[in-house]
Amino acid sequence: MIVGAESRALAAGAVLGLAFGADPACAHVASAQAGAFYAGLLHPLTAPEHVLPMLALGLLAGQRGLNESQGVLLAFVVALAAGAGLAPSETAPGWISLLNVGSLVVVGVLVAAAWRWPTALLYALALGFGATHGYANGAALPPGLSPPIFMIGLSVAALLATGYGLVVSDALLRLKPNWPRVAVRVAGSWVAAVGILVLGMGGKALGAP
Amino acid sequence: MKHTISNRYPILAALIGSLLPALALAHVGQGELSGGFAAGFTHPILGLDHVVAMVAVGLWGAQLGAPAIWILPVTFPLVMAFGGLLGGLGVELPGVEIGIAASAVVLGVMVALALRPPLWVAGALVGLFAVFHGYAHGAELPESADPLAYALGFVVATGGLHLVGIAIGLIRRWPWGIPSLQAGGALIAGCGLYFLLPHLAGT
Repeated sequence: MIVGAESRALAAGAVLGLAFGADPACAHVASAQAGAFYAGLLHPLTAPEHVLPMLALGLLAGQRGLNESQGVLLAFVVALAAGAGLAPSETAPGWISLLNVGSLVVVGVLVAAAWRWPTALLYALALGFGATHGYANGAALPPGLSPPIFMIGLSVAALLATGYGLVVSDALLRLKPNWPRVAVRVAGSWVAAVGILVLGMGGKALGAP
Repeated sequence: MKHTISNRYPILAALIGSLLPALALAHVGQGELSGGFAAGFTHPILGLDHVVAMVAVGLWGAQLGAPAIWILPVTFPLVMAFGGLLGGLGVELPGVEIGIAASAVVLGVMVALALRPPLWVAGALVGLFAVFHGYAHGAELPESADPLAYALGFVVATGGLHLVGIAIGLIRRWPWGIPSLQAGGALIAGCGLYFLLPHLAGT
C-alpha cells in the first residue's frame, strides 16, 4: 500500500519534472522565456535567505517521514506561487524580510527540538512562510520577464530545495545509529543560529534580495 | 555487524557529499556573498581563544558521552547565537574577554580531570560560556559584510570546531587515548591561562 503510494508520488514527480523540464529544453529552439524560468529558478537558490529555510522546512517535514509530509511541500509551493503572484514589482518591505529571517529561526528551532509537532503546525508554517518567501521573490522579478514563467521557475526551485531536505532527512532518520538523527537536529540548530545572528546584526541589508 | 557498517557508510558519504554544494554556493557569490561567508568563517577560527574553547566543548562532550555528546552540538549554536543577539543589539555584558579566557581554563580543567558533573551543571556551564563567546562575536560583527552569508560562515566554522573536538575525543576508544585526551585538556587550560593573565593583570 505504502509502496503503491510512493511509486504514484514518484510518477507524479517525474511527470511534473518532465513538464517543467520542457521549458529549459525549448531554450535551444527559440523561446526567450527560458530566461524567465532560470531567473525564477536561480533567484531563491542563490540567496541563502531563501534556500536555507526551504532546506530546513524539508528537514522538518522529513522528520515526520516521507509519506506523512508530502502535502506540506505542496502547501509551501502553492503559497510561494501565490505570494509571488500577489507581489507588486517593487522592493519588498522590510517586514517581509524580517519574517523570512524569522522563518530561519522558527523552522530551525523546530528541527533542533525534534518533537512530534502537530501536522497543522507544519501546514501553517508552510503556508505562512511560503507566502512571505514567495512575496520577496516575486517582488524581485526582473523587468521584461514573463511573470508566470518566472513563478514556474520559483516553484520548481522551492520544490527542489524542500524536497531535497525532505529526502535527506528521511533517509538519515531511517538509519540505525542515533547520530544521523542528531545530525539533522544539529543542522536545524545551525539554521536557527544563523537566523538569530542575522537578527542580531540589526536585520540591515535584508531588504536587498 | 561489520557488513552493516560497510553498507551504511557509502550512503552517508553520499548524503554528506551532496550537502557540500550548498556550501560551495557561497563561491558563486552575488558579489559580497562570498566575502561575507569567508569573513564569517574565518572569524571564529582566527581567534585562538575561541578555537581552544570550542574544541574543548567538543572534547568534553566526547568524554561525557551520551547524552551530552549530542545535546551540546544542538544547543550550543542556539545559545551562542543568543549571545550574539545581545552583542549585536549592544546590551551591556561585563567581563566578556575574561569570561572567554576563563571558559578555556574551566573547560580544559574539566577535560584534564575527566570531571563528570550532572548534565544540567555541564549544560549550564557551557551555555554561560556560549553566551560570552557569542556576545564577543556579535559585538565585533562587521558593518559591511552580507549579514546572512557572514552568519552562515560563522555558524559553520563554530560547529566545525565542535566536530573537530568530538572527533579528537574519539581517541578514547583506545587505552592510550584516555590519558592523551586529559593531556589535551591540560594544554587547553594552559592556553586559557595564557589568555587570562593579561586581562587580570590589566584590571
